[in-house]
Amino acid sequence: MKIDPTKPVELKKQGQEQFKIRWEDGHVSIYPFRYLRQNCGCAGCRSEITGERLLNPETIPEDLKGLKVELVGNYALHFLFSDQHTTGIYPFKVLRQLCPCTECNSI
Amino acid sequence: MGIFSRKAESTISEAAVLNELRKIQDPDLHKDIVSLNFIKNLEIKGSEVNFDFVLTTPACPARDVMRDDAIRLVGSIPGVSAVNINMQAEVKSQPALSKNSIAGVKNIIAICSGKGGVGKSTVSTNLAAAMARSGAQVGLLDADIYGPTIPIMMGKVGSNIEARGNLLLPIETHGLKFMSMGLMAPGDKPLIWRGPMAHKALQQMLLGVEWGDLDYLFVDLPPGTGDVHLTLVQSISVTGAVLVSTPQDVVLTISMKTYRMFVETKVPILGIVENMSYYICPHCGSKDEIFGHGIVKDAAEKLEIPFLGEIPLDKAIREMSDRGSPVVLAAPESASAKAFEKILGNLAAQISIANFSSQPLQIVEE
Repeated sequence: MKIDPTKPVELKKQGQEQFKIRWEDGHVSIYPFRYLRQNCGCAGCRSEITGERLLNPETIPEDLKGLKVELVGNYALHFLFSDQHTTGIYPFKVLRQLCPCTECNSI
Repeated sequence: MGIFSRKAESTISEAAVLNELRKIQDPDLHKDIVSLNFIKNLEIKGSEVNFDFVLTTPACPARDVMRDDAIRLVGSIPGVSAVNINMQAEVKSQPALSKNSIAGVKNIIAICSGKGGVGKSTVSTNLAAAMARSGAQVGLLDADIYGPTIPIMMGKVGSNIEARGNLLLPIETHGLKFMSMGLMAPGDKPLIWRGPMAHKALQQMLLGVEWGDLDYLFVDLPPGTGDVHLTLVQSISVTGAVLVSTPQDVVLTISMKTYRMFVETKVPILGIVENMSYYICPHCGSKDEIFGHGIVKDAAEKLEIPFLGEIPLDKAIREMSDRGSPVVLAAPESASAKAFEKILGNLAAQISIANFSSQPLQIVEE
């Protein structure tokens, strides 16, 4: 079977600060919860029509925490943040693209 | 007695028995049955060898072949006078993940189609009934809110749903547990529901019904894709999806949208079934492939998904359905019933493979 870089093999909530995903291709992604909140894709945070971010990332407090993480079916994660925002669904495919590490962000 | 009885008493070793059994491979999991832990409670009583052969599903299509091989191989060990095998099944599943699953339900199988009228509900009903008859604990959820025909096929139109505390009680019939969104609207009243209502209704059917311990829950979805599908794949971890298609449906690539939706949401595609594959003339018995030959099978090969089998266009299926009895139970010797049984065997194998090769996802907290 082909290795799927968007398939998680390990999901770990590291306190209320960050979330770790290890992918099938071996890559490891660490997401601060504040970063995840800033990249929420729900219709309130991101325009359904243009895909443009409606949420101003500066408005998310520095000490934003991740309270709960849940699986959505087989394909996504769902978070409850300390600002009570909970409407975002984060598909694994999108999470992989969002990996904030230097390796994934170098051209 | 004398020399001959002494020969019969020379001890048969467990190792010898297991070595013979190691020669048998599960044709779907591609490993030998000893490594797969199928052999349990091995007992050697004098010259008799007794053990349990535990399959992953009661509907295992290779069941008889593997049993016969086991009897033959173990019987060939010098000194063995009898081989007694207790065939059993223990359905495996991914471990329950609290909110992402239905407590007690091991496998959730979605039955879908590209468009209406391809016989999806007939397939769901007959596969569920056949699986129940093979010995598994089975539930059938009719989530087709736009055309809930399963109550008719099960002979349960107009049934009242009862509740125990917060949970609705499924109706027990034809050897399985059954619930339908169609039973929520009495008589001829249409179910005109917008998204949020359909969403809530399906969630209630999944999580607010006392399903008990099930090996398999078949969910008959509406044709195409929509709110009901989204709710299903977002509320729980679906074990896999089965596509039902007629040859024409594939030619017009309508079933592909539904297929792609499941791929996007990482639901394993267990396979595709070709319904109305051919017509059997009731007078001369000749087979006429009205819609073309092998079309769905070719499409399955191109997509690299399993082809589960063909079902003929047979008046008996419709007649039995109208009478409220699935053809696999009402006419088990008919060509159609046998077609369903064959498809069930292939499906059961694919479910076992999917469970065997998947790693359950769990969120760990540090």
